[in-house]
Amino acid sequence: MRHNFIDRYANLDSPLHVLEARTKILGYLSLIAALLLMPGRNDVVLLVYAFVAAILVGASQVPLGYIVGRSLVILPFVLLAGIAAPWTNSFDGARFMALATRSFLSVTILLLMTSTTPFPELLRGLQKLGCPRILILNLGFLYRYLFVLTEEVLRMRQARDCRRAGRAPPRVELKLLGSMLGSLVLRSFERAERMYQAMLSRGYAGEFPVLAPRRFTWRDLTFLAGIALLIVSSFRYAGR
Amino acid sequence: MTEYAIRITRLSYSYPDGTKALEDVDLDERVALVGPSGAGKSTLLLHLNGVLSGKGMIRVMGKPLGDTALREIRRHVGLVFQNPDDQLFCPTVFEDVAFGPLNLSISPQEIPHRVERALRDVGLDQSIRNRPSHHLSHGERKRVALASVLIMEPDILALDEPSSNLDPRNRRHFIELVASLPSTLVLATHDLGMVMALCPRTALMDRGKIWADGETRRILADARLMEEHGLEVP
Repeated sequence: MRHNFIDRYANLDSPLHVLEARTKILGYLSLIAALLLMPGRNDVVLLVYAFVAAILVGASQVPLGYIVGRSLVILPFVLLAGIAAPWTNSFDGARFMALATRSFLSVTILLLMTSTTPFPELLRGLQKLGCPRILILNLGFLYRYLFVLTEEVLRMRQARDCRRAGRAPPRVELKLLGSMLGSLVLRSFERAERMYQAMLSRGYAGEFPVLAPRRFTWRDLTFLAGIALLIVSSFRYAGR
Repeated sequence: MTEYAIRITRLSYSYPDGTKALEDVDLDERVALVGPSGAGKSTLLLHLNGVLSGKGMIRVMGKPLGDTALREIRRHVGLVFQNPDDQLFCPTVFEDVAFGPLNLSISPQEIPHRVERALRDVGLDQSIRNRPSHHLSHGERKRVALASVLIMEPDILALDEPSSNLDPRNRRHFIELVASLPSTLVLATHDLGMVMALCPRTALMDRGKIWADGETRRILADARLMEEHGLEVP
């Protein structure tokens, strides 16, 4: 079965892919923070950020269509904000455009982060940055079992479709859905039990061991320095 | 009295919902545990490394199970689960294979070499190590599951339905692979062809009891016995 992997392009070999996970997390998140906190409404600054994002997307070798397509997911939310805007006292088209650009760029940058870093590395990066262990562990299991669960659901749906003709009345449909959900919960529960037994069988004693392959190098330093320079100078420019 | 790798006496276990399983049996060399589904094979395997503990006595490598630290037992007895998706729970293959040795506090410098060797031993390419297990085929996942246990260098290898869901070619490869391993083997299955290829001795298990125990050829040829317990002569 085919899945739409969140980190489908994470195993390419581009200048961005070789960076350490921590570098990318810190770099991209501060870019996003800078974008959102930028004072005033400065089109030149926004243009510069858009330009930088475009360069990063180009350097990442991730297909442009993938990034743009995914970024558009944010559009409905932006439009919603646009619809609400006339009720606030200072609405104008330019303001809306600035808002839309900022949101779109932020999502693009986030996508860049997840599609140039394999999810396991991202987790390791977060952990080294001090994110709670229990959260990392849960995200790790989620990533590992999301697809197993999806397949389970697909199989259950196929089994259901094989045994019925056409649609049943809504009440029956709902009941069917309910029992499917119930059995999915039970199956997951039992799977968790077996997983835990497998963990115990290999000596699990409450601590999840980790090894770290990628190291922080001069490349990471250059990347972070570049981003810091961009942020500081754009703030100075915008604050003038 | 000879010392068996595993000696089980009057073992009984009841699941929280009341189902009973298990019985007397000695396991050594290469033994197959055959029987219909629900016979208690998997339950028995889970007892061998102390994940489940019922009433009765289990001796592993001559020592009663309760006496040795569980961690030690789990090093001696490597258990490979039927479904690799249950066994492989880490984000990448490397982490999964390294999970056991890291828990055994083997020095981190040594781990990559060990992982490399374990993957080679099960016939997998090294390029697989950084991939998430859900990107692998079922056959590959089965091999990774085996590697994740072999890396702990167990004296006793307990395999639960290792050939289930494998296509004929993968099944044959898997059998050849297991045949080439030096460890004591306990094989729970109803794949009787595999039993004949791997195990000189067979114990027939049904409804928690061992009904027959002896030379594989003799047991698998006994049509009445086999049919009585939901199996058939291969």
